[in-house]
Amino acid sequence: MAAHLSSGRVNLTALREAGRRELREFLDKCAGSKAIVWDEYLTGPFGLIAQYSLLKEHEVEKMFTLKAGRLPPADVKNIIFFVRPRLELMDIIAENVLSEDRVRSPLRDFHILFVPRRSLLCEQRLKDQGVLGSFIHREQYSLDLIPFDGDLLSMESESAFKECYLENDQTSLYHAAKGLMTLQALYGTIPQIFGKGDCARHVANMMIRMKREFPGGQNSIFPVFDTLLLLDRNVDLLSPLATQLTYEGLIDEIYGIQNTYVKLPPEKFLPKKQGEGGKDLPTEPKKLQLNSAEELYAEIRDKNFNAVGSVLSKKAKIISAAFEERHHAKTVGEIKQFVSQLPHMQAARSSLANHTSIAELIKDITTSEDFFDNLTVEQEFMSGIDTDKVNNYTEDCIAQKHPLIKILRLVCLQSVCNSGLKQKVLDHYKREILQTYGYEHILTLNNLEKAGLLKLQTSSRNNYPTIRKTMRLWMDDVNEQNPNDISYVYSGYAPLSVRLAQLLARPGWRSIEEVLKILPGPHFEERQQLPTGLQKKRQQGENRITLVFFLGGVTYAEIAALRFLSQMEDGGTEYVIATTKLINGTNWIKSLMEKLEPPPF
Amino acid sequence: SMAPGALLLEAQREYEKESQKADEYLREIKDQNLLSEAVRQCIEAAGYEHEQEVGGSGAASFGKCFLDKFPPESFVRTCRDLRVLNAIWDYQIGIPLTFAQYKQLTIEVLLDRLVLRRLYPLAIRICEYLRLSEFQGVSRILAHWACYKVQQKDKSDEEVAHAINQKLGDTPGISYSEIAARAYDCGRTELAIKLLEYEPRSGEQVPLLLKMKKSQLALNKAIESGDTDLVYTVVLHLKNELNRGTFFMTLQKQPVALSLYRQFCKHQELETLKDLYNQDDDHQELGNFHVHSSYSSEKRIEGRVAALQNAVDEYYKAKNEFAAKATEDQIKLLRMQRRLQDDLDKPYVDYSLHDTVYGLILDGNHKRAEHLYRDFRVPDKRFWWLKIGALAEREDWEEMEKFSKSKKSPIGYLPFVEICMKHHNRHEARKYAARVTPEQRVKAHILVGYVAADAAIEHKNETEMNLVLSKCTAATDSSVAEKINRAKAQSLKK
Repeated sequence: MAAHLSSGRVNLTALREAGRRELREFLDKCAGSKAIVWDEYLTGPFGLIAQYSLLKEHEVEKMFTLKAGRLPPADVKNIIFFVRPRLELMDIIAENVLSEDRVRSPLRDFHILFVPRRSLLCEQRLKDQGVLGSFIHREQYSLDLIPFDGDLLSMESESAFKECYLENDQTSLYHAAKGLMTLQALYGTIPQIFGKGDCARHVANMMIRMKREFPGGQNSIFPVFDTLLLLDRNVDLLSPLATQLTYEGLIDEIYGIQNTYVKLPPEKFLPKKQGEGGKDLPTEPKKLQLNSAEELYAEIRDKNFNAVGSVLSKKAKIISAAFEERHHAKTVGEIKQFVSQLPHMQAARSSLANHTSIAELIKDITTSEDFFDNLTVEQEFMSGIDTDKVNNYTEDCIAQKHPLIKILRLVCLQSVCNSGLKQKVLDHYKREILQTYGYEHILTLNNLEKAGLLKLQTSSRNNYPTIRKTMRLWMDDVNEQNPNDISYVYSGYAPLSVRLAQLLARPGWRSIEEVLKILPGPHFEERQQLPTGLQKKRQQGENRITLVFFLGGVTYAEIAALRFLSQMEDGGTEYVIATTKLINGTNWIKSLMEKLEPPPF
Repeated sequence: SMAPGALLLEAQREYEKESQKADEYLREIKDQNLLSEAVRQCIEAAGYEHEQEVGGSGAASFGKCFLDKFPPESFVRTCRDLRVLNAIWDYQIGIPLTFAQYKQLTIEVLLDRLVLRRLYPLAIRICEYLRLSEFQGVSRILAHWACYKVQQKDKSDEEVAHAINQKLGDTPGISYSEIAARAYDCGRTELAIKLLEYEPRSGEQVPLLLKMKKSQLALNKAIESGDTDLVYTVVLHLKNELNRGTFFMTLQKQPVALSLYRQFCKHQELETLKDLYNQDDDHQELGNFHVHSSYSSEKRIEGRVAALQNAVDEYYKAKNEFAAKATEDQIKLLRMQRRLQDDLDKPYVDYSLHDTVYGLILDGNHKRAEHLYRDFRVPDKRFWWLKIGALAEREDWEEMEKFSKSKKSPIGYLPFVEICMKHHNRHEARKYAARVTPEQRVKAHILVGYVAADAAIEHKNETEMNLVLSKCTAATDSSVAEKINRAKAQSLKK
């Protein structure tokens, strides 16, 4: 089940195993049959750690979703609440517990498992509600960094960016630091820490502090990671705003990938022969898991979408050739060998069919005129064309009331590419948006301004061209088929965040001091002492391993760019990626929007 | 005795005397393959040497020499234990334990006894000698020592704290907070605070500091730790402990705590949130707050308008002219919508300006729509987009044509073509296709289904020609395709 986690340079199965162990230990503490009441948000991330079968082995017989009122009936000994430490959830739990029918089921034990951390505040709330004493076990499950793939970890903390950059609430950073400590406990102390941004600084400080607090003294595990690079999302606000053009990035942009799963319109996935009856069209969306366990997906996910078609048709030829082999199989031995390969071939064929369908779905969109126009405008902004005046296309889109998030992405992108907009331009956009989409969005616009995504150009100087030129963010001669630079992931734009990582590895940040000063927040370097005997002696030609932690989210295109760097022959560095949340421009902007609903009449 | 151990002892004694008998005894044991057993017996016997002069250790070490693979652990362990016993039998210590008693008691208990007698240095030496892990050995003893130390009333807090830190340093497993708790129990609060300074784990510092009523200090420590839950705990503690004014003042000095408390209030105590902003004179946030409440807490239009009016005032104070004006517009719109709702008996309130105007046109209320458009100074371009969209949805083609001729369209005529086609009215679309600018002609012609080859060839524009080509089907348009291909070839030659 977890082969994809051990495929990379760092075996992340160990992390998952640690998570499973902790879960089993907790479940075994509550002896007897159990029902789990889930904070719904947690079920997705938990699925990446343990399947239902593991829970079942430990006598979990029922599962419910946490909601107000009375708990559904269940003939079990234990009721366990799996929740995030949030006050509003505590109120629901209290209601559940208080409305229990003590006469009918007097023997049920209550427990609570906080994910990822126990909270005094929440326990106080339970106490105020008079139910704290009802819980036999109150524990925490430190699910901070969840392994998503062989080189990818995420905290799936939805609101991390908003909390950190808008509300000055650094809870998720504390969890990030804790997660990094867990990681170091399993994979050894990371000797070098680099960082850029205020949040990065804060996380590094907490890590250093936590190391001192650690009672066990020295970590005696041989270090796997050479370097940790902590990056604030607000150092690079541009990359998530631009439309991702890798295969995986586009799937996420169009359909949204959640906890490695994507839901797709079912029409394209009809079995060819039975479909002709046309009577039972499936209405349920087709749900697919996307990770490197699927060979074909691992090959195409990070390619520019324009290079995917040729791979798919090549694969199609190979597979049909393989199936043709059966006609050449003459002897019993040959037939036997053919049959033994069948399951693998059939899996490959259905994988190919799925991705061909997905590629068709995406192509319908990427070849549309509107997609093209939108992309053209984005690329103009990123390459520095006409960023200082009101854009016609954006205006027309507002006039036709295109989705608000699309408009916000465009306007923010323009603002970032121009180091802020002139008062007149900014006010015009804001007025257009308020009149078209409603005045309630004034708060959303205010949030975007607070987060720095939308701003007034304060100095007369526009810094973006300097950054663009020094960091080579715009590449005119991009090769989508056989890329030689990370800019292929956005067909021209090289994500600033990944450039920072690339330049750190070679030739080092000293070469870009000037740009680092323009970008927000401090940049720094820390070293963690290793006990003697654990210093790494690198073999000839062995690559360094760098963990890049994006505080505030990372896009699939950025991940693709880092994977591209890992695979470069003379790169010298391989990357593992961690983040607070996997994001795209749409869900990122959405997390910053203020939801105001008019009162009902 | 003829036990192998006894023989070995004998052999060793003969060896000391330099007698060859030693060899005979040794051979006798070895022939029976009992040498390792003999050594084991001697090691065991050595444990009892003090009670009775046996000489087992010497014999064991002698016999060991003739064995290839005798595991040394038991020998070493016994020797170590013997040295420990030696140390405690010293007359200054005076704990005459036998080996058996010592084994029964275990080293941990022995250490406890030493600690109770305040023989800290000896206990530590023993731990170090036996290489006990710091956690259960040295650290524990040092902690005991420190707990004793804090009870010494004759020394100043400074001295005691310093002395303790000197000795304990950063020894892993030391809990300064436990020592501090002891100090506090002895009534030495100041000393406790000093000791807590050495505690690296904020989680441990904070509860004790709160218990000692040092909440301000607790707040500092909680913030330092980065653990927001800890900060919340202290903040809510402070809230109960202090009067409101002092509480707010305290938060003022701690931005991290203040922002967390704001978050708490946003979900739990909205009114307090307003007070916080008021205290900071944060007019922008106050404005936002009122906008919020115009949606969440007010139901009647008058109430909502009042809340928005408050927002306007605050935005002006914040010098945010844009937000103030926009909110004034919102009030104006809300009032108009209310009137529309009454007049037309249709829901209008809380639609955006765009949707309101659109709805009016859809219902044929062109005058009112026009009025709103002028009143809110909607840019022409947007109004035109909006109006043709609504007219098309209403399928009011006559009005659309009239509108298109009212003046020169600020958005050109291609949108007209597009919107007609979207509503499947090719006939109307063709009217506008004739009016588009030459640059857009190919696109318009393709949209309405004309064969646009001539226009494209006229433009000598390859992209357009390809576009036309892509629309050609082999069956019907082969002659057109041929024409274009010819033109393309020609333009290539040039």
